Amino acid sequence: MKTRNFIQVLLIVAVIIYSFCGCASVGVNVLDRDILSRPEMQFDYRTNDLALDEHIYFSKEASSGGRGFGGGGCGCN
Amino acid sequence: MGRNSVRGTLAALTASLIGVPVADAADINRTETSILIYSENERTQALEATFSLSKELKNQFLLDLRLTYDGLTGATPTGASPSKYPQTLTRASGGESEELEPGSFPLDGSFNDTRFAADATMSRQLGKLSVVKFGTHLSSEHDYSSVGLNFGVNRDFNGRNTTVGIAGSFSKDVVKPVTGFNQPFSEVGLTLNETAQERLARFKGRNKRVSDIVFSLAQIISRGTVVRFSYSYSRASGYLTDPYKIFSIVQSPDSADPGEPILNLFEKRPDARRQSAVFSEIRKQIFGRAAAFSYRFYWDDWQIRSHTADFSMHFDFKRKGAVLPRVRWYQQSGANFHVPFLIQGDPLPSYASADSRLAQFRAFTYGLGYSYPLSSNSKVNLSFEYYMQRGQVNPPASLAQSINFGLFPELNVIMLRLGYAHEFF
Repeated sequence: MKTRNFIQVLLIVAVIIYSFCGCASVGVNVLDRDILSRPEMQFDYRTNDLALDEHIYFSKEASSGGRGFGGGGCGCN
Repeated sequence: MGRNSVRGTLAALTASLIGVPVADAADINRTETSILIYSENERTQALEATFSLSKELKNQFLLDLRLTYDGLTGATPTGASPSKYPQTLTRASGGESEELEPGSFPLDGSFNDTRFAADATMSRQLGKLSVVKFGTHLSSEHDYSSVGLNFGVNRDFNGRNTTVGIAGSFSKDVVKPVTGFNQPFSEVGLTLNETAQERLARFKGRNKRVSDIVFSLAQIISRGTVVRFSYSYSRASGYLTDPYKIFSIVQSPDSADPGEPILNLFEKRPDARRQSAVFSEIRKQIFGRAAAFSYRFYWDDWQIRSHTADFSMHFDFKRKGAVLPRVRWYQQSGANFHVPFLIQGDPLPSYASADSRLAQFRAFTYGLGYSYPLSSNSKVNLSFEYYMQRGQVNPPASLAQSINFGLFPELNVIMLRLGYAHEFF
């Protein structure tokens, strides 16, 4: 039941965010993306470190997924 | 700023969205080599080496390749309960015996493994606004192997301020423990009277299948702010029990020595698992420095719930390099079949595991990274991280008086990482 409530809240939040994204005030012209183009502003900045981290957490904790694909591929868990 | 860097931003955004790690899937070719030294307190030691290559091929195809080697050695908790007295334990994965100090967690010291993994992804622009990707995964250990396929597609909207993605993967793993499969809930250390045929069947590999799907959304908010959200669902079926993990049967409260382990049984987990996670991340310029914050809520049908929050900053000192402090906080509830032990005389449940990774615990990571540019297109990355787990596993009230030690094996890990990244055209 808690999970169902959580998903409902999530859907509402997603709809709000989606409508928020549709606003003209959100977003940046292509010519104004100098800061966004910096390496440290990328979601996959230092991918090797991220991959090594995710592998360690996958082997030591019960959770996976979110950032990318969740499970499989290792006998460590 | 050139047009290429804009494309780079968008391509990298979309790449990270679909869960297929395509490093800087832009017009830049790059290689990155990393070595990780991982050291647990008196337990597992590991060395992990990773090489990744991103290269633009003909006809606008991009290749992302990652090769990983893991070498592990040391000891890991078996799941058996500590004793008040010196104990002799038969190793679950080796068949040898070891002597244990009073009150210490039984460890399986024969743990030794190497793992090779290869991941390759091809991606290509489809029209002006979409990218499609196909990937494959292979990994091999002496007692485990995995083959997987994945795909993804994403599309930009709203003047390329919004990117929506969907990705899926399927993997088939084969579990082949060195000890063969032991009957769940059978006693550890018993000599099996089996025929050659039965023994052969016991050593035959068993399958595990995992399917994943990820939906994602990334949005540029302002000149210095970008966010992303994703929902991932994973379904695993087949052999999900850990063949080396055991748990103890302890003496009942009205016995001569309450709480003292009598014997150990092999654990048993369900043969299916459904996992879901929602993930969000924001990257924002604060006083000219990039800050990243992410949060994940995870839940599964083993009744595990977890929260993960991760915060990092990027302090850029130009030619002197960049410093990256990082903090991660994690908390999970225990699986509904996790038990510290079972009490003698109680009926066996359908499933039981004393694996501390399925227990209720909190974990913290404190890290500090340093990135130094060797030239305009190469740099070295160094990082130090400290990871700790602190758990809450209590004995049943009836045994609370008899057991005066913690039932969660605390974990402290030091991780050192060295990497070299090189870009070429």
